[in-house]
Amino acid sequence: MSKKAIPIVEGLFTWPSDNPRLIGSKCPVCGSIQFPKSITCNNPECDHSKPPEEYLLSTEGILYSFTIHHYSLRGPLSFHQGPYAVGAVQLPEGIIVVGRLTETDEKKLKIGMRVRLKIDKLYEDEEYIYLTYFFEPASGGEESG
Amino acid sequence: MAESAVVSVALTEWVKAGEPTPLMIDRLVEVAVKALQEAKLRPADLDAIICNTSAIPFDSPSYITTSAQHFAHRLAEKIGVNGVQAINVSAACASGAIALAVADSMIKSGTAKRVLVAGVDNSPKGFYLAAQSVLDHDLAATVVKAVGVTNPAYWAMWARRRAYEMGKDIEDIEELMAIVKAIHSEYGALNPYARYKKVFTVEEVLNSPVVCSPLHLYMICATSSGAGACVVADMDTAQRITDKPVKIAASVVGSMVYGEPMPRLRSYATGGKSAKTPFTEWRRVIEKAYKFAGISAEDVDIIECHDTSTFHTINWIDQIMGWEREETDRLIRNGEIRHTGRLPVNLSGGTSSFGEAVMCQAQIMIHEIFRQLRGEAGPRQAKKKLNIGVVTAYGAYGSYGCIILEKGW
Repeated sequence: MSKKAIPIVEGLFTWPSDNPRLIGSKCPVCGSIQFPKSITCNNPECDHSKPPEEYLLSTEGILYSFTIHHYSLRGPLSFHQGPYAVGAVQLPEGIIVVGRLTETDEKKLKIGMRVRLKIDKLYEDEEYIYLTYFFEPASGGEESG
Repeated sequence: MAESAVVSVALTEWVKAGEPTPLMIDRLVEVAVKALQEAKLRPADLDAIICNTSAIPFDSPSYITTSAQHFAHRLAEKIGVNGVQAINVSAACASGAIALAVADSMIKSGTAKRVLVAGVDNSPKGFYLAAQSVLDHDLAATVVKAVGVTNPAYWAMWARRRAYEMGKDIEDIEELMAIVKAIHSEYGALNPYARYKKVFTVEEVLNSPVVCSPLHLYMICATSSGAGACVVADMDTAQRITDKPVKIAASVVGSMVYGEPMPRLRSYATGGKSAKTPFTEWRRVIEKAYKFAGISAEDVDIIECHDTSTFHTINWIDQIMGWEREETDRLIRNGEIRHTGRLPVNLSGGTSSFGEAVMCQAQIMIHEIFRQLRGEAGPRQAKKKLNIGVVTAYGAYGSYGCIILEKGW
């Protein structure tokens, strides 16, 4: 029997899904977008008269910055084994989301490049495959919703 | 409105994190008594005690230090007071600066005349990870678990973005950060309270392992155990205590600014509908402080800025001076941040040389500016004439403190 694939943290992205999306929230009053979803709007100009609603974020964005994390984490988070890549991605909504990058070759990463969401394996143990959200290079002209 | 001034400062020698002795409360008492003695005050003279500390035991795993745990009250009990106002401040790396800002506000509003500010911490080793109890219940705290993004990873992304915006290669900021480390280490070697006395060359820094590109190991501060304190008084009292009171011209506390595009420490996402200029959050507290002090960047003679990485030093100079970033690069490359230079920066050696004791590291900076303005910094003493010094601190989740100190005599 194959292992079940589950999100490393619940509530960050839609799963299971053929077209997974990051789960954010949008304020019905001012339109402010947040990730992860929040119970209150964070726009200081908003009157906060209605709570934010769940909003699925765009799947493509622009790489704002990145780093290659060469060290590994310890203890309960030792599944983060370096080197791995972390990036900040600006989405069309305006917000910048921090996430893993699939590409770990520093030379192949450039600020300003297009990237798109990909849900992929972070690690597995005897019971489960743990998934997290990544951004992968989106060159090649493929279109995304 | 009353004027306030720092009348005494004290530090302990900073040591390796996790050293079991002396106990944190004992170290806090030691440094508090030292500051009181320099001010020639007794505990009975105090109106308030403000502590910036954490209470994470030295054998704790690497949990984020956010708990202030009643140290002000425990200190009051230890040294003996008559019902002072006891306040605990918890704002990560900015805690010491914010504790001083609270003291300043109390004096300026007239609710206190003599305030002891004291901090101690014993920071955990390695990357700071959220505690399991937080991880499981607070979605926003899970970013390290889901993404593996540690504090140095954020700093590295900030540094890369700055290089990109300036149209520079990554090697350029890498070298600049190494130069900062090399210069800071020269002053750590001259500071009896600093933990690290080794002087590094730029090559040694660049040859140290890459932690998060472009950040190398020696560009990131170690974690330490340390303590610091100061006594703040209203100006009339201050002038009776010392002939060299160091006036608090401004003390400003800041936090997140909506629209700031640079991901702040330990956050999943930032921004807002309209992204502002990067590091607006950092700049905001400084601008407010200048306004309160009635000064501008040109009036700043000396800087002590919080440097958990050497990128912080670079960015603080950008923000404090508000000039073209090229100017900062030139200043550093020309060695003008040394004690002989036109804008000395971190002559204490910085956390680069002390290691961070998270909750109280701003005390290093307050101590240094106090000594520098009074001409008491020994071999680290700036050669130029000093009138105004700036202290800036940045802590996790976007906690900021900016203190402007001025010769009060």
